[in-house]
Amino acid sequence: MDLSGKSYKAFIERQEALKKQYSPKQAEKQHSKGKLTAHERISLLFDSGTFEEIYTYVTPADQPVEFGKVERTFGDGVIVGHGKVNGRLVFAYAQDFTIMGGSLGVVHAKKIAKIQEMALKMGSPIIGIMDSGGARIQEGVASLSGYATIFHNIIHSSGIIPQISVIMGPAAGGAVYSPALTDFVFMVNHTSYMFVTGPNVVKEVLNEDVTFEQLGGAEIHASKSGVAHMIYDDEENTILALKKFLSYLPSNNVENPPVMADDGSCSDINEKLRDIVPDDPNKAYDVKDVINNIVDRNSFFETAELFAQSLVTGFAKLKGKTIGIVANQPKVLAGVLDIDSSTKGARFIRFCDAFNIPILTLEDVPGFLPGVDQEHSGIIRHGAKMLFAYAEATVPKITVILRKAYGGAFIVMNSKNLGGDFSFAWPSAEIAVMGPDGAVAILYRKELAVSKNPAELKKQLVKKYRDKIANPFIADESGYIDEVIDPAVTRKKIVSAFNALSNKWVKVPSRKHGNMPL
Amino acid sequence: MLNDKLGIKKLYALSSEKRKFSFSLPLKHKIKIGKRNYEIKLKTDEKYGTYILWKNRKYPVEVVRSRQNKYEILFNDISYTFSVETPFSLQRMKVLSSSKGKTEQEFVKAPMPGKIIDVLVREGSNVLRGEPVVILEAMKMQNEIQSPVNGKVVKVAAKANNNVMKDDLLVEIKVD
Repeated sequence: MDLSGKSYKAFIERQEALKKQYSPKQAEKQHSKGKLTAHERISLLFDSGTFEEIYTYVTPADQPVEFGKVERTFGDGVIVGHGKVNGRLVFAYAQDFTIMGGSLGVVHAKKIAKIQEMALKMGSPIIGIMDSGGARIQEGVASLSGYATIFHNIIHSSGIIPQISVIMGPAAGGAVYSPALTDFVFMVNHTSYMFVTGPNVVKEVLNEDVTFEQLGGAEIHASKSGVAHMIYDDEENTILALKKFLSYLPSNNVENPPVMADDGSCSDINEKLRDIVPDDPNKAYDVKDVINNIVDRNSFFETAELFAQSLVTGFAKLKGKTIGIVANQPKVLAGVLDIDSSTKGARFIRFCDAFNIPILTLEDVPGFLPGVDQEHSGIIRHGAKMLFAYAEATVPKITVILRKAYGGAFIVMNSKNLGGDFSFAWPSAEIAVMGPDGAVAILYRKELAVSKNPAELKKQLVKKYRDKIANPFIADESGYIDEVIDPAVTRKKIVSAFNALSNKWVKVPSRKHGNMPL
Repeated sequence: MLNDKLGIKKLYALSSEKRKFSFSLPLKHKIKIGKRNYEIKLKTDEKYGTYILWKNRKYPVEVVRSRQNKYEILFNDISYTFSVETPFSLQRMKVLSSSKGKTEQEFVKAPMPGKIIDVLVREGSNVLRGEPVVILEAMKMQNEIQSPVNGKVVKVAAKANNNVMKDDLLVEIKVD
């Protein structure tokens, strides 16, 4: 093609200038820190050749006052655009640390805002890849207002399109609230940090010595604060995991999640399930073994794996269709509900409800965690969130009681009268107001006090309680659960129950919004 | 996908014992034992599930857990855990481990109030990550408290039949 005309000259010059802007030296610098460049991240995320960048040539805003240096670069430190991920339309922005530290200036913010608005209009997921030094100091209040616009857009898209943040560098100060507002946060071990105030300020104000990693590293946020949901050891795996994660989610709140072809490799009858729950009710087991034996092979994608581990949450495929799973984990803290696990569960349930993902609850819960620490920190308030989220959710909801279902925690975990559509129980289930020991101690306090052999009497009473009260048959016969089932047929039962519920429609009276106990 | 986008020509399987096996891309299903090359086939069918076909014999394989690049598989009824690494990620691991340098102490604490049922380690015991060190009864359940790291036990504070509060020290481990 002949591009020698005058008008093409400027066109080509500009293209070459852009090419020069991304020098191999800068890429090398990112690589030496164990990071990829913004372009590499984008190219890994999107299907080959599908990403279209927009606003490539915009330049930074003029400074109101001359202060510090502003590089006159194309793009203003962020790449925005759209493309296909696993064949589905996705919008994305990726901050580029090699240009002015990825700092957020007015133009940078406008680009992000623009792509957010487009994603909302088209009803497609948006991915934000963050690697930024924060607000651009030189641009002052204008840059701050840029953040505000971005936050506003996230909040107004919340529950309409899935919004996912991937932290691949620093995110400090106000910038942390942009990921915090989105649905899921991915982080990379050792190269990404999030904090409201950095270690230097902490040292200055509180005289505490703390490293970047200890204050806001990926591991801390994944295990302690619960800010990060998924963490991986390197950027390549983080992006590959994100791609897999997207395959569970619908593009928006009116579509259904994508359906994968059912390869028929999983038999509906699985006898392994009969042997997972131990006979001794004081012995623990790993509920993930139960999950993996119910859902399609290798389809379970756990979310917030390291946070509040007494409750397992995640997505899976059942005959190729996405379901959300909430399961008590007897292996960790006996599977109790505490403050962290309640908020983790509530947030997960609300996400599923917003995006038409049916919820499967696997229940083995001894109750809420007792103690001064929990009560004073507001377990009542936080436990109520889980209750609220379950009852509020209008997606199909099925519960399988594996073993313990005691007290308030039984009610919370999607009981039928709270709005659960189907409730099944394994023969090992124990459904009662409280565990045998507690119940016997209260009901037979006097008898136990005067007994010559209280230990023996207690043992007898506990056995009687187990046989007579703490079993699934009473609940079954009185209709508080639907059926006691053989564990081996669990998958079959759940599949047919979800099929029966596939057209579930609940009319909710119009209101501005409920008032969740936050 | 990694090979066409990042130009990766080799992948490594890094076992939990830090043994490294390399595979060149695209995968050819050939392995070298001693000096001879063998071809192995990975097959799945309804009757046998997934298995490796080698010299006309079937060896069952089951992926027990997978988490992105980390896998736990069951092969001939023996469980193996490993991660799939690229040349980049190996390089990165090397850089990170050299910058860490010094060994650290790990304090295993009670995750909730309860009663110690059994202490499974002694001072001087070597423990592996995930190995139970103490059995703590709480919420009417015997909870295995596991070592979060590979290392050597330097102090055992937990005593059987004692009650502990949340965050009480149970075991102190020197990280390997």
